[in-house]
Amino acid sequence: MVVWLTVPASWIGRAALHLIHAVQAAQSRRRARFESRAVRGITLLREWLSPQQRQQLECFNHIEVIGCDSGKSYRIQHGVCQNVLELDGDGCPRMGWCFIPEGNLVPGDVMLAQKIALETNERRALAVAKQFLVPPLLPHVAATT
Amino acid sequence: MATQIVMDHTGDTRHHFDAKDLKALAEAERRFKALTANGFTAATRQASGDVSLARSFDPNTEETVFYPRLVGG
Repeated sequence: MVVWLTVPASWIGRAALHLIHAVQAAQSRRRARFESRAVRGITLLREWLSPQQRQQLECFNHIEVIGCDSGKSYRIQHGVCQNVLELDGDGCPRMGWCFIPEGNLVPGDVMLAQKIALETNERRALAVAKQFLVPPLLPHVAATT
Repeated sequence: MATQIVMDHTGDTRHHFDAKDLKALAEAERRFKALTANGFTAATRQASGDVSLARSFDPNTEETVFYPRLVGG
Protein backbone atom coordinates (compact mmCIF):
# COMPACT_ATOMS: atom_id res chain seq x y z
CA MET A 1 0.00 0.00 0.00
CA VAL A 2 2.86 2.30 0.92
CA VAL A 3 4.60 1.50 -2.34
CA TRP A 4 1.39 2.20 -4.24
CA LEU A 5 1.05 5.63 -2.67
CA THR A 6 4.62 6.56 -3.51
CA VAL A 7 4.22 5.78 -7.25
CA PRO A 8 3.72 9.03 -9.12
CA ALA A 9 0.36 9.40 -10.81
CA SER A 10 2.02 10.07 -14.14
CA TRP A 11 3.58 6.60 -14.05
CA ILE A 12 0.17 5.01 -13.60
CA GLY A 13 -1.24 7.08 -16.43
CA ARG A 14 1.64 6.13 -18.69
CA ALA A 15 1.28 2.44 -17.82
CA ALA A 16 -2.45 2.57 -18.52
CA LEU A 17 -1.82 4.26 -21.86
CA HIS A 18 0.79 1.65 -22.72
CA LEU A 19 -1.68 -1.11 -21.88
CA ILE A 20 -4.41 0.44 -24.03
CA HIS A 21 -2.01 0.74 -26.97
CA ALA A 22 -0.94 -2.88 -26.57
CA VAL A 23 -4.56 -4.09 -26.52
CA GLN A 24 -5.42 -1.96 -29.59
CA ALA A 25 -2.39 -3.31 -31.45
CA ALA A 26 -3.34 -6.90 -30.59
CA GLN A 27 -6.92 -6.29 -31.78
CA SER A 28 -5.63 -4.76 -34.98
CA ARG A 29 -3.32 -7.76 -35.61
CA ARG A 30 -6.18 -10.18 -34.97
CA ARG A 31 -8.49 -8.26 -37.32
CA ALA A 32 -5.82 -8.24 -40.04
CA ARG A 33 -5.28 -12.00 -39.61
CA PHE A 34 -9.03 -12.65 -39.93
CA GLU A 35 -9.33 -10.38 -42.97
CA SER A 36 -6.41 -12.15 -44.59
CA ARG A 37 -8.04 -15.54 -43.90
CA ALA A 38 -11.39 -14.27 -45.20
CA VAL A 39 -9.85 -12.92 -48.41
CA ARG A 40 -8.01 -16.19 -49.02
CA GLY A 41 -11.24 -18.10 -48.46
CA ILE A 42 -13.15 -16.02 -51.01
CA THR A 43 -10.25 -16.29 -53.47
CA LEU A 44 -10.26 -20.08 -53.19
CA LEU A 45 -14.05 -20.16 -53.57
CA ARG A 46 -13.86 -18.04 -56.74
CA GLU A 47 -11.23 -20.37 -58.21
CA TRP A 48 -13.54 -23.35 -57.76
CA LEU A 49 -16.75 -21.79 -59.11
CA SER A 50 -18.14 -22.21 -62.58
CA PRO A 51 -18.18 -18.97 -64.62
CA GLN A 52 -21.93 -18.61 -63.99
CA GLN A 53 -21.54 -19.08 -60.23
CA ARG A 54 -18.68 -16.59 -60.19
CA GLN A 55 -20.94 -14.03 -61.81
CA GLN A 56 -23.69 -14.73 -59.26
CA LEU A 57 -21.24 -14.22 -56.44
CA GLU A 58 -20.08 -10.90 -57.88
CA CYS A 59 -23.59 -9.59 -58.49
CA PHE A 60 -25.69 -11.07 -55.68
CA ASN A 61 -23.19 -12.32 -53.07
CA HIS A 62 -24.62 -15.83 -53.39
CA ILE A 63 -24.19 -18.84 -55.67
CA GLU A 64 -26.68 -21.39 -56.95
CA VAL A 65 -25.89 -25.08 -57.20
CA ILE A 66 -27.79 -28.15 -58.40
CA GLY A 67 -28.00 -31.09 -56.01
CA CYS A 68 -26.41 -34.14 -57.63
CA ASP A 69 -28.99 -36.61 -56.29
CA SER A 70 -32.32 -34.76 -56.48
CA GLY A 71 -31.62 -32.18 -59.18
CA LYS A 72 -33.00 -29.51 -56.84
CA SER A 73 -31.57 -26.00 -56.85
CA TYR A 74 -29.96 -24.49 -53.79
CA ARG A 75 -28.81 -20.97 -53.06
CA ILE A 76 -25.68 -20.66 -50.92
CA GLN A 77 -25.55 -17.20 -49.41
CA HIS A 78 -22.42 -15.54 -48.10
CA GLY A 79 -22.11 -16.65 -44.50
CA VAL A 80 -21.16 -19.44 -42.15
CA CYS A 81 -24.51 -20.76 -40.90
CA GLN A 82 -28.16 -20.95 -41.99
CA ASN A 83 -27.01 -19.83 -45.44
CA VAL A 84 -28.22 -22.69 -47.67
CA LEU A 85 -31.70 -22.28 -49.13
CA GLU A 86 -33.53 -24.84 -51.21
CA LEU A 87 -35.32 -23.12 -54.09
CA ASP A 88 -38.64 -23.96 -55.67
CA GLY A 89 -39.33 -24.04 -59.39
CA ASP A 90 -39.67 -20.25 -59.47
CA GLY A 91 -36.31 -19.73 -57.77
CA CYS A 92 -37.90 -18.71 -54.45
CA PRO A 93 -36.59 -20.11 -51.16
CA ARG A 94 -38.85 -22.84 -49.79
CA MET A 95 -36.69 -24.42 -47.08
CA GLY A 96 -33.42 -23.72 -45.29
CA TRP A 97 -30.69 -26.28 -44.63
CA CYS A 98 -27.92 -25.71 -42.13
CA PHE A 99 -24.77 -27.78 -42.41
CA ILE A 100 -21.21 -26.61 -42.02
CA PRO A 101 -17.73 -28.07 -41.95
CA GLU A 102 -16.28 -28.63 -38.48
CA GLY A 103 -13.88 -26.01 -37.18
CA ASN A 104 -13.97 -22.27 -37.27
CA LEU A 105 -13.78 -21.70 -41.02
CA VAL A 106 -14.18 -18.43 -42.87
CA PRO A 107 -17.25 -17.82 -45.10
CA GLY A 108 -15.47 -18.59 -48.39
CA ASP A 109 -14.27 -21.98 -47.13
CA VAL A 110 -17.69 -22.84 -45.65
CA MET A 111 -19.44 -21.92 -48.90
CA LEU A 112 -17.00 -23.97 -50.98
CA ALA A 113 -17.46 -27.02 -48.74
CA GLN A 114 -21.26 -26.62 -49.03
CA LYS A 115 -21.06 -26.29 -52.83
CA ILE A 116 -18.88 -29.39 -53.20
CA ALA A 117 -21.08 -31.38 -50.81
CA LEU A 118 -24.31 -30.54 -52.66
CA GLU A 119 -22.80 -31.12 -56.10
CA THR A 120 -21.11 -34.41 -55.25
CA ASN A 121 -22.90 -35.99 -52.28
CA GLU A 122 -26.17 -34.14 -51.70
CA ARG A 123 -27.88 -36.93 -49.78
CA ARG A 124 -25.10 -37.22 -47.22
CA ALA A 125 -24.94 -33.44 -46.73
CA LEU A 126 -28.68 -33.19 -46.13
CA ALA A 127 -28.57 -36.20 -43.80
CA VAL A 128 -26.47 -34.23 -41.30
CA ALA A 129 -28.15 -30.87 -42.01
CA LYS A 130 -30.74 -29.22 -39.81
CA GLN A 131 -33.75 -27.74 -41.54
CA PHE A 132 -35.04 -24.28 -40.84
CA LEU A 133 -38.06 -22.41 -42.07
CA VAL A 134 -37.62 -19.57 -44.49
CA PRO A 135 -40.04 -16.67 -44.09
CA PRO A 136 -42.12 -16.18 -47.23
CA LEU A 137 -40.93 -13.31 -49.39
CA LEU A 138 -43.11 -10.27 -49.82
CA PRO A 139 -44.45 -10.02 -53.39
CA HIS A 140 -42.34 -6.99 -54.33
CA VAL A 141 -39.16 -8.65 -52.96
CA ALA A 142 -39.87 -11.95 -54.72
CA ALA A 143 -40.25 -10.09 -58.01
CA THR A 144 -36.69 -8.74 -57.75
CA THR A 145 -34.93 -12.02 -56.87
CA MET B 1 3.36 -28.45 -59.55
CA ALA B 2 0.38 -30.16 -57.93
CA THR B 3 -1.36 -28.64 -54.93
CA GLN B 4 -3.24 -29.97 -51.93
CA ILE B 5 -5.37 -27.34 -50.22
CA VAL B 6 -6.46 -28.06 -46.68
CA MET B 7 -9.21 -25.97 -45.05
CA ASP B 8 -8.76 -25.39 -41.35
CA HIS B 9 -9.18 -22.70 -38.71
CA THR B 10 -6.08 -20.91 -40.00
CA GLY B 11 -7.70 -20.45 -43.42
CA ASP B 12 -6.48 -22.72 -46.16
CA THR B 13 -3.04 -24.25 -46.14
CA ARG B 14 -1.52 -25.06 -49.51
CA HIS B 15 0.97 -27.90 -49.97
CA HIS B 16 2.72 -27.79 -53.33
CA PHE B 17 4.60 -30.82 -54.60
CA ASP B 18 6.28 -32.04 -57.75
CA ALA B 19 4.54 -35.21 -58.92
CA LYS B 20 7.82 -36.39 -60.45
CA ASP B 21 9.58 -36.26 -57.10
CA LEU B 22 8.98 -39.66 -55.51
CA LYS B 23 9.63 -38.47 -51.98
CA ALA B 24 7.23 -35.53 -52.35
CA LEU B 25 4.67 -37.82 -53.95
CA ALA B 26 4.85 -40.26 -51.05
CA GLU B 27 4.41 -37.38 -48.61
CA ALA B 28 1.38 -36.13 -50.57
CA GLU B 29 -0.15 -39.61 -50.52
CA ARG B 30 0.49 -39.91 -46.79
CA ARG B 31 -1.21 -36.52 -46.26
CA PHE B 32 -4.19 -37.59 -48.39
CA LYS B 33 -4.68 -40.78 -46.38
CA ALA B 34 -4.22 -39.06 -43.02
CA LEU B 35 -6.73 -36.33 -43.81
CA THR B 36 -9.41 -38.60 -45.27
CA ALA B 37 -8.96 -40.98 -42.32
CA ASN B 38 -9.64 -38.01 -40.04
CA GLY B 39 -12.97 -37.21 -41.68
CA PHE B 40 -11.84 -34.72 -44.32
CA THR B 41 -13.43 -34.96 -47.75
CA ALA B 42 -11.16 -34.68 -50.77
CA ALA B 43 -12.44 -33.10 -53.97
CA THR B 44 -10.93 -32.27 -57.32
CA ARG B 45 -12.11 -30.10 -60.18
CA GLN B 46 -11.91 -30.38 -63.92
CA ALA B 47 -11.04 -27.57 -66.29
CA SER B 48 -14.77 -27.20 -67.04
CA GLY B 49 -15.40 -26.29 -63.42
CA ASP B 50 -17.06 -29.60 -62.57
CA VAL B 51 -16.19 -30.91 -59.15
CA SER B 52 -15.84 -34.55 -58.14
CA LEU B 53 -14.93 -36.44 -54.99
CA ALA B 54 -11.53 -38.10 -54.76
CA ARG B 55 -11.86 -41.47 -53.03
CA SER B 56 -8.20 -42.37 -53.41
CA PHE B 57 -4.94 -40.58 -54.07
CA ASP B 58 -4.29 -39.81 -57.72
CA PRO B 59 -0.74 -38.59 -58.46
CA ASN B 60 -1.94 -36.95 -61.69
CA THR B 61 -4.45 -34.62 -60.02
CA GLU B 62 -3.38 -31.00 -60.27
CA GLU B 63 -5.42 -29.61 -57.38
CA THR B 64 -7.20 -31.30 -54.49
CA VAL B 65 -9.15 -29.50 -51.79
CA PHE B 66 -9.83 -31.04 -48.38
CA TYR B 67 -12.64 -29.85 -46.15
CA PRO B 68 -13.49 -31.06 -42.63
CA ARG B 69 -16.38 -33.33 -41.74
CA LEU B 70 -19.83 -31.73 -42.18
CA VAL B 71 -22.08 -31.26 -39.20
CA GLY B 72 -25.56 -29.86 -38.72
CA GLY B 73 -25.43 -26.19 -37.80
